[in-house]
Formats: sequence, C-alpha cells, structure tokens
Amino acid sequence: MIAGSFFSRYIVSTDHKTVGKQYLWAGLVFLALGGFLAMLLRWQLAFPGARVPLVGGLLFPESGGALSPDVYAKVFTTHGLVMIFFAITPVLIGAFGNFVVPLQIGARDMAFPRLNAASFWILVASQLLALASFLAPLGTASAGWTSYPPLSTNVGTPGWGQSVMVLALLVNGFSTVLGGVNLITTVIRLRAPGMGWLRLPATTWGMFLTSILNVTFVPVLGSAALLLLLDRHLGTQFFIAGASARAGGGDPIAYQHLFWIFGHPEVYILILPAWGVVTDIVSFFSRKPAFAYPLTVGAMIAVTALSGLVYGHHMFVAGLGPMLGQAFMALTLVISIPSAVIALNWLQTIWRGSVRLDSPMLYALGVIIVFGMGGLTGVLLGDLSLDVYLHDTMFVVGHFHLIMASATFLASFAAIHFWFPKLFARRLDENLARAHFSSSLVLLILVFGGQMLAGYSGQPRRLFDPYQYEFLKPLLPLNRWTSYAAFALATAQLLFVWNVVRAFWRGARETDPNPWRVGTLEWTCAPTPVPVENFAEVPQVQRGPHAFDAALQASLGRDFLGQAELVSEAKPQSVGVK
Amino acid sequence: MNALGVGLPPDASIDAGRLDVVLHDALFAVSAIFLGCLAVLLVALVRHGRRHTAAAESGATAGKMLRSAGVALGLLGIVDGALFVNALRHPTGALADFAEADKLPGVVRIELNAHQWAWDARYAGADGVFGTADDVTSLNRIVVPEGAPVLVELAATDVIHSFFVPALRLKRDAVPGRIGTVSFTATTTGTFEIACAQLCGVNHYKMRGELEVVSPSEYATWLARGSDLATRGYDPDDKSAHWAWPWMAAR
Repeated sequence: MIAGSFFSRYIVSTDHKTVGKQYLWAGLVFLALGGFLAMLLRWQLAFPGARVPLVGGLLFPESGGALSPDVYAKVFTTHGLVMIFFAITPVLIGAFGNFVVPLQIGARDMAFPRLNAASFWILVASQLLALASFLAPLGTASAGWTSYPPLSTNVGTPGWGQSVMVLALLVNGFSTVLGGVNLITTVIRLRAPGMGWLRLPATTWGMFLTSILNVTFVPVLGSAALLLLLDRHLGTQFFIAGASARAGGGDPIAYQHLFWIFGHPEVYILILPAWGVVTDIVSFFSRKPAFAYPLTVGAMIAVTALSGLVYGHHMFVAGLGPMLGQAFMALTLVISIPSAVIALNWLQTIWRGSVRLDSPMLYALGVIIVFGMGGLTGVLLGDLSLDVYLHDTMFVVGHFHLIMASATFLASFAAIHFWFPKLFARRLDENLARAHFSSSLVLLILVFGGQMLAGYSGQPRRLFDPYQYEFLKPLLPLNRWTSYAAFALATAQLLFVWNVVRAFWRGARETDPNPWRVGTLEWTCAPTPVPVENFAEVPQVQRGPHAFDAALQASLGRDFLGQAELVSEAKPQSVGVK
Repeated sequence: MNALGVGLPPDASIDAGRLDVVLHDALFAVSAIFLGCLAVLLVALVRHGRRHTAAAESGATAGKMLRSAGVALGLLGIVDGALFVNALRHPTGALADFAEADKLPGVVRIELNAHQWAWDARYAGADGVFGTADDVTSLNRIVVPEGAPVLVELAATDVIHSFFVPALRLKRDAVPGRIGTVSFTATTTGTFEIACAQLCGVNHYKMRGELEVVSPSEYATWLARGSDLATRGYDPDDKSAHWAWPWMAAR
C-alpha cells in the first residue's frame, strides 16, 4: 500500500479528524434514509391508502404502490431507530465529539486512536446489519422503535428481520460505549497544561457528559436487547406473559424498565452535545463571555445526574403504583429547572452583546427556539394526570421531535457550519445557509407543532389510518397541512446538499485559520487544514474559552484573547497559525 | 372545533373537566414563559446587533449566577409546584385509590380483556360474581350508567394494548400476565369511542370500541336482559368463553 493513498488516508486512518469525518458522512447518509422514511409516514397520514408517488410502484408493488398496515409499522419503527442510533448519534457525538474534543483540549489525538477507528467500523457493521434486516422474507423490525415485548418477540413479530435489527442495536451499543470510554479518558487524561475543568469549552463539556451517560446506560439497553434475542431464539421467557407463556412466563414490564432506564437518558445523550455547542456559539457570536458559565456547566452536570432518575414518566400508564408515579413526576418536573437555567443563560449572554448573525449563530438561535418549545411542553407531559390523556398521542411525538429531532438537527447544522472551515478548509455559502436555516426552522415548527395539535385533539400515535375513528376524521386537514410542511422540509434540505457540493466543487478555499475570530484552541493554535497530531507544540492554556472584551479593540484591534495566548506577547493581529 | 379540526374531544366524565382546566392553565403558563423569553431574545437581536458594542462583562460573578438560578426557579418552580400539588389534590381515575373506590355504593364492575384486535368486556350479572353462568359479555362495547362510579379491571391475552377513552381523558395499559385497574364516573349520556393507544400489531389501528353511557334505568334493563340471555345460552363445555378472573376484592 502506497503511503498517503486514498485507502490509508481515509479508510484505515486512526487520526481523530478523519474518524470524525467518517462518522459525519455515515451519519448524514442515514439521516437522509430516516428522512425518506418519515416522508412515507407523512404521506400515509395525509392520503391514507393512496399510491405513494414516484417510489410507490417500485417499493410496494404487492400493495399497488400504497403502504400496507404492515409496511407502515416497519416504516415508523425503522424511522425512529435509524434516526436515533444510526444518524443523529453518529453526526452529533461521533463526528463532532471526535473532531472537536481533542482539538479543544489541546490533545494530539484521542486517548486510544485505534480503538477510535474500531468504534467507527463497528458502527458501520451495525448500520449494515440494520440495512440487512430489510431483506428478511417477513421484512424488517415492526414493533416500534421501543420494541416492547411481547409484540417484539415471536408472539407478535416472527421472522429474522426483527432479530437482526435488535442485533444491530446491540452491535451499535458496543460502538457507542467504546467511543464513550475513549472520549472520557481523553478529556480526563489528555487536557493540555492549564486546561482546568472550568476552562473547557462548553462543547467539550457536553460531549464529556454525554459520554458518561452513554457508558452508563447504553449497556442497559444492550442487556434488554440480549434478553429479547434470547426470548426470540433460545426459548427463554424473560418478557413473555399471557397466553403464550409456559410455566408462569416472565414480565413484559421488566423490559420497559430496562428500556427506559436507557431510553430517557438517551434524550439527554442527544441534547447535551447540542447544549454545549449552542453555549459556545452563542458566546462567540455575541462577542461576550458565556453568562454565568460555571452555573451552565453545573446545570448540565445536574441534568446528567437527574436524567437517570426520571425514566418512570414513560410508564405512567403502564401500571406504576401511585406513589412511584408521584415520585417520578416530582423528579421529572425538577429537571426542568436546570434546563431553564441553561436557556436563560443563553439569553443573558446574547443580551447587551454585539450579535453577529452568521450561519452558526442562526442555527444556534433556532436551537434555542425549538428547545424552548419542546422543553416547555415536556412540563405538561411530566404531570401525571395530564400524561394519562396525552400519553402515546401525537402530542408526545411532536414534543420529543422538537427536542430530539429539531434541536439536535439544528445543533448539528450549527456545528457543521461552524467547524466546516476547520474540517475541510472550505467555506460554505452564507446565503444558501441562511435560506436553509430559515426554511428549516419555520417548517420544523409547523410539522411538529401540527403533530402536537393533533395529539391535543386526541390522535394516538402509530395509527396506519387514524380516520377509522370518528373523532379523528375532522383532523384530516390538519394532518394534510402537517404533511405538506414535512414534504417542504425535506425539499429544503437540498439547499444544504447543494451548499456542500458547491463548497467542494467550486467553493472558496479557507486559508484563515480563525475566520470566526474566537479564542478556543482549535482556532487559535492549529493551522487549517489541521495536520496529523494537530499542534506544532502542545498549547499552554492561560484562560477560559470565552475571553471576549471590547476594550481590547483599542490596543489589539480585536475583541478576544486566545485560550493559550500570553497577554504580554499578544499581537495586534488575529491569533492563529498562518 | 375549527377548520383544521383541532380541539379536545367531548368531555364526558368528572375527571375530564378537571383535567382540561389543568391542561389549559399549564399550556397558558408555559406559553407565557416561552413568549416572554422570545420577546427578550428578539429585543436583544434588534438592539444588540453588530453595531452595538458588547458590554464588558465577566460572565461568571456570583451575583449573575444567583440571578439566573433564581429566575429559573421562580418561573418553572411555580409551574412545576402548581402541577405537582394539583396532581396530588385531584387524582384522576388512574390515580384513584382502587380499593377505596371498590367500596362505593352503586359501583359498576367490569372486566375487560384486550387481545388482537378487540375488547372483550364482562359484567358479573345479577349474582355479582365473575365467572358464573349469568355473566354478561360484550364485544367492543362497554355500557355504563351515567353518574355511577365504574371500576374496570384490565387484562391482555397476547401483547400489550392500551385502553384509551379520549372523552374520559383516560388511558391505561392492558399488560399480559397482569391485571390493571382504572376507574371513572361518566357524566354525559351518549356513545364515545374507545381507542387502543399501544402498538399491538398490524391491525392496531382498527382496535376500535365504543363506550355507551346510558341512564341508570336503561342500564339496569340492559344488564338484566343480558344476564337472562347469558344464563339461557350458557354452555359449560365452551371453555374459551370462560375467560373471567376472580375480581380483586374477592381474591
């Protein structure tokens, strides 16, 4: 193999930046797949039983090009799994955790570079397994992304498609846990001299806390997946009860406990990196230090700690005792307070700043808006008595999509637009980015707001044809408009695709190592493109990540100090290696 | 109800009305918080744009942190606290003390067995004991008298289902291997839909039932006639029809 060939540079590389880019592309491909599946769902809710245009004849010839109830179940099941495990996690945590964290802490690579590359290839294996499940004679998984038994056992879902999908989750879990161990070790052991805990950029904090949650709770999902596979193939009955049980059987509710002990922290696994990215970007583009930064970090830690104690609210109607329900309700409501602290700190960072509405800041502002909507509606669902009505309705679907889909989606795009110059030494077009951002933000709110209105009116989720119910028939116009917004949202993503293609095809080369004029190490101590091992010499960190002061303008001609810059040596031009 | 069809389903029980008040109060409170914050954000974006010189602030003084924590605690602490106290004060059907409710005079007891893809209901009949010849059974239809407390014991044969009556604002999972309980008091006569709210297989979307709320005298007539028919049609050898379980109070 020739050194520097495509294969050695891009396939077997252990460089954290290359691994990060691999995660990015692998995640974006599955994001497109998950989005396509969502369009099929919205088509069915808008035009139940009608032939799917363009692709229907090709994909569903046996049902005349329309979705059948069975296919609909497969589509919403795989939409959820693909988005959570194979798209958002790789993009937000895999790509930016890998690319940004070592650079931000002044490390030359991850603590275990080979393990890091292995984590990525294990992810690819899990993605291939997920795709393989579609080839099963009875089709892929169809018991919902939550895969509740007994429906997800052979009692309700025979065939190897469901098994291979559960196996894919198990393999995916290995990738996530190994990646998490690596990132935790990296942040604890490889911080540059002077990089104290409160000098860590918020992005790194978010990735660090999320990795702690991954390492703690993904193995619980793994155990549930393993027991489910045993039930499906080795005749055990951990989760089987009722008419199919022999000799007493097991308990389906035990699975729900295992699933949600993982499942609720998973929400925070996805949102903590987003909070971190937004905290940094809001400070950078307001040209002001992050407001009450230690409190923001403390609130993120509090949320991380609380996240494992609230999962019972997913089981309010499953038969928890009233005392247990009230305890979970209290803990769930309490978690809104540190979350609100983080959001209020963003507002106070922006207040009296000098705000630049560059594309990363626009996406970050979008995160604040959709997170506000999603978080505040979550308060309603945390209430035991309101949840009894709203549980398993489209209200829940709209609520969690505002957080797990909209906020993480916009945060991913904030990160992509912010680090793109450093990642690829290219510039994305600002006009295209503005068009993509504004259309996406409006349409995300319309789609998931529409879903919440349907849920408020009582529409249960996961219904192939809601209009079987008399009380849901009047909701057809609402569901149609929601679907039109969803189709427009999907179309708007072409703006981003075109922006990326354009950047590589004929976009301007980015030669400025610090185009955003900010002080964190990846911008001030590493050249663009970043070489293997990142830094010529390991930076000596002097201060926190958000050192902005307009008064510096007079002496230095800029309003910020690099994290590793010595004030006595500060020069009037921008810091950063040319 | 409006052009888009948005609106709460009709309200047919004591708890539904109470819950709607809480729901709308909570929606109002969180909307006010959201719009207030959005207004602050918009003012900041308009007034403190690129031309505005950023205030020289150290972001991390103790005063700033106290202020932020205090505002968060003030805004959401009030909403959270109100919701929590309210949930304790007004337990809905799912929260009610089932053993206490079982002692109420005139209580109507129903056993409901969910399976793919239908609801099997059973009434104890004239003798008040489940699993006897005079049990009244009914498919995808529950009849209850207006104004009387109703207790439902829920079970499932195959997979998890969820008993959802939008007009009662009530939902409870039916789990194989367990018996769940739910209670309500209907206040409006009429027919209301029962939906399955938990994915239960291919025909989940067709698992529709009806709750019929009738006057107490109509109910008594219906039950007596059903009990009479059941007794005459009873077949001791038809084991599949004998799916009743001992009522909780009798266990």
